[in-house]
Amino acid sequence: MNNYNPISALIIFFVIVALLFVFFRPIKGWFWILRKNFKNNEKTIIEDILKQLYHFENSGNKVDMKTLVQVLDYKNTRIVEAINKMTINDLIYFESDILKLSETGREYALRIVRVHRLWERYLADKTGFHKTEWHDRAEMMEHKLNHDETNTLAAHLGNPKFDPHGDPIPTKTGKVAQVNGVELPLLQVNTIGRITHIEDEPEVIYKQILAENIHIGSLIRVIENNNTRITFQSEGEEFKLAPIVAANLTVSPIEKEVVIEDNIARLSSLDEEETAKIIGISKESRGESRRRLLDLGFVKGAKISIDLMNPLGEPHAYLIKGTSIALRKDQAAKILIKKD
Amino acid sequence: MNQKNIDNIIELSNELRWQIGDDFHDNLTEGIYADAADIVKDTVQVDHSKKRFRLDSKIDKIVTSKTFGFPIMFLILGTVLWLTIVGANYPSSLLANLLLDNIHPLLKSGAASIGMPWWLDGFLIDGVYLAVAWVIAVMLPPMAIFFPMFTLLEDFGYLPRVAFNLDSLFKKSGAHGKQALTMSMGFGCNAAGVVATRIIDSPRERLIAIITNNFSLCNGRWPTQILIATIFIGAVVPSSISSFVSLLAVIGIAVLGMAFMFTVSWALSKTVLKGEVSTFNLELPPYRPPRFWKTIYTSLIDRTLIVLWRAIVFAAPAGAVIWLISNIYIGNESIASWAISSMDGFGFLLGLNGVILLAYIVAIPANEIVIPTILMLTVMVTGISGGEGAGVMFELDSMNATGDVLRAGGWTLLTAINLMLFSLLHNPCSTTIYTIYKETKSAKWTIFASIMPVILGFVVTFLVAQFWRLFI
Repeated sequence: MNNYNPISALIIFFVIVALLFVFFRPIKGWFWILRKNFKNNEKTIIEDILKQLYHFENSGNKVDMKTLVQVLDYKNTRIVEAINKMTINDLIYFESDILKLSETGREYALRIVRVHRLWERYLADKTGFHKTEWHDRAEMMEHKLNHDETNTLAAHLGNPKFDPHGDPIPTKTGKVAQVNGVELPLLQVNTIGRITHIEDEPEVIYKQILAENIHIGSLIRVIENNNTRITFQSEGEEFKLAPIVAANLTVSPIEKEVVIEDNIARLSSLDEEETAKIIGISKESRGESRRRLLDLGFVKGAKISIDLMNPLGEPHAYLIKGTSIALRKDQAAKILIKKD
Repeated sequence: MNQKNIDNIIELSNELRWQIGDDFHDNLTEGIYADAADIVKDTVQVDHSKKRFRLDSKIDKIVTSKTFGFPIMFLILGTVLWLTIVGANYPSSLLANLLLDNIHPLLKSGAASIGMPWWLDGFLIDGVYLAVAWVIAVMLPPMAIFFPMFTLLEDFGYLPRVAFNLDSLFKKSGAHGKQALTMSMGFGCNAAGVVATRIIDSPRERLIAIITNNFSLCNGRWPTQILIATIFIGAVVPSSISSFVSLLAVIGIAVLGMAFMFTVSWALSKTVLKGEVSTFNLELPPYRPPRFWKTIYTSLIDRTLIVLWRAIVFAAPAGAVIWLISNIYIGNESIASWAISSMDGFGFLLGLNGVILLAYIVAIPANEIVIPTILMLTVMVTGISGGEGAGVMFELDSMNATGDVLRAGGWTLLTAINLMLFSLLHNPCSTTIYTIYKETKSAKWTIFASIMPVILGFVVTFLVAQFWRLFI
């Protein structure tokens, strides 16, 4: 080592580390961006346009070029190119300024939506990815699976009806199940209903909903509904949401006067010395975790009590069917009980 | 039935499945439990007076209480480790005396009397036999003490309570509470620790536990740490506190290992492993008196002997390699000295030297032979007197003599500290690597688990070396 000195060695080291960071840091790393741009071929753009049109038409909105360019994250010239190609191939047509899906275009779009929602379902049931990542991963995957692969995936998942957010998954033949319910802000005070759908876009709002620990499939009772906030009660806890956030929740009102168990609570709220009966496991507990819980005996009607409190706050051990099982707080929050 | 009918039926079943919806498995399980409950009600009589032993819940209340839970845990685990390290000294030196000081010369003279050529005798006796004997002498006693004690605790039912107490710490780094147990097991032997991860039934957390187990300082590395700390770190403080300070340094390294374990677990769960399925449940079985002899027997057979056998299988060729590289010459230099001089530059950057790097390469099969190899290579390259000859590993009886050899090899306090760090942060031994492969069945994770700690070790020793030279 002729010209060694510690400072220059350190500088070289930190330059290398910085370069690696710039290239490979998650999401914003140059490597990933380059790879993504490389993969954004025409097919992807066409499919994204089809999907957007499908969603817009379903919600009864009209789309012109301007809106489309705003919603999609591609260069304008590439979008125009794609649109031209799509009109030639009869996937879409213009009615004056408005873009419309043709019959074939609609079928194609439905197929993309099917892959997207199936993949979200797959991510929810068969992998450990966090909820916030499902959407983006499905966005990438929806362009990759071909027809046969999609059907294999669907069969593997047991041909599910809904994706984890409560959106219906179109079947092979294009059949779409009905989602019941209306947006939460439209409900009167004291209405009782079940959350049937949680919209995952835009991400900012979705993250707020997740942070509140609101679960799909929960029964709710609206307590307050005005311009500034909507308050509702669910599973023994009270939730307050801004109307814009609440609008992303779809709730299906329960018409007939079913007996609402007023003292339904989450297992996480059980105290020492209390006993309870299990009502069920929330829809939020999915896949392998749900199966494990069921197999351990966390089923409707089972008696449960706290066996041991943890010195660090979690997990507590619960006594169920004569066995002591420790569960973490987030798991216990997904088990519904009725306190005795 | 023709194909069309079958297709129709499948189509119909898919249609029905779609209509039934997602609650299918829930309802089925509920039904099974309801049926089972009915059957139990009719057939099983329960003696309500004995409902869950009161003793059980009393013990549980104490070992998981806020005040006593953690002190009890540290006390028990500390005692186990202390008994292992201290208690293994005596049988270890006995074995070393027998295998290295008595049988080895005997074999040598036996070989000489039947006129065995020097290269065969060196290869087999100085190479293969010596490495195997060394591994047995250093490895067997601690394992034979540690594993039975650990298994007794496990059998008694205490260990699940440790996992229960510590889970929320591990949850923060994306791991499972039971990793506390596999980590403690790793203090005995990483290969056994990796096998022990079978108790973690969640795929993601299990992989985390497997990959990070190497950060537990294993039995093969404790002696190295203690020796180097005593020689170099104990020497810079007044002799009245030197043994205390060197002990503190070794504990510091072990704690640093735990810190790395938590950090790496966290990083893994947030990056490469985030897609793996993650579940959690922890059963707290009732306490029961351990079946003492059965436990001792099974832990000796299942854990100790299997691990020892694997270590021997890997150590034998390592011994051969060590002897060969020191005795095969290319031009004027043996392979070993050629390799050492070519790695000296890189070693210097890391605050180590070529001898240490080469020793860690040839000693991949067993950490136990690192120090003997380093001593042998140091004597060889420096040309000082002492040692047993090229390719013959040795250890010296007095620490002072060992320190003199190492200092003659150019060692400083920095070299010693970085060796301790590198001994913590380097690839797992080949027994562990093989075990990781058997447990994960994945070449990808095996390679990752082997390479990642070395890279960490390079980075850490490099940084320490540069800052040391800048400021001290």
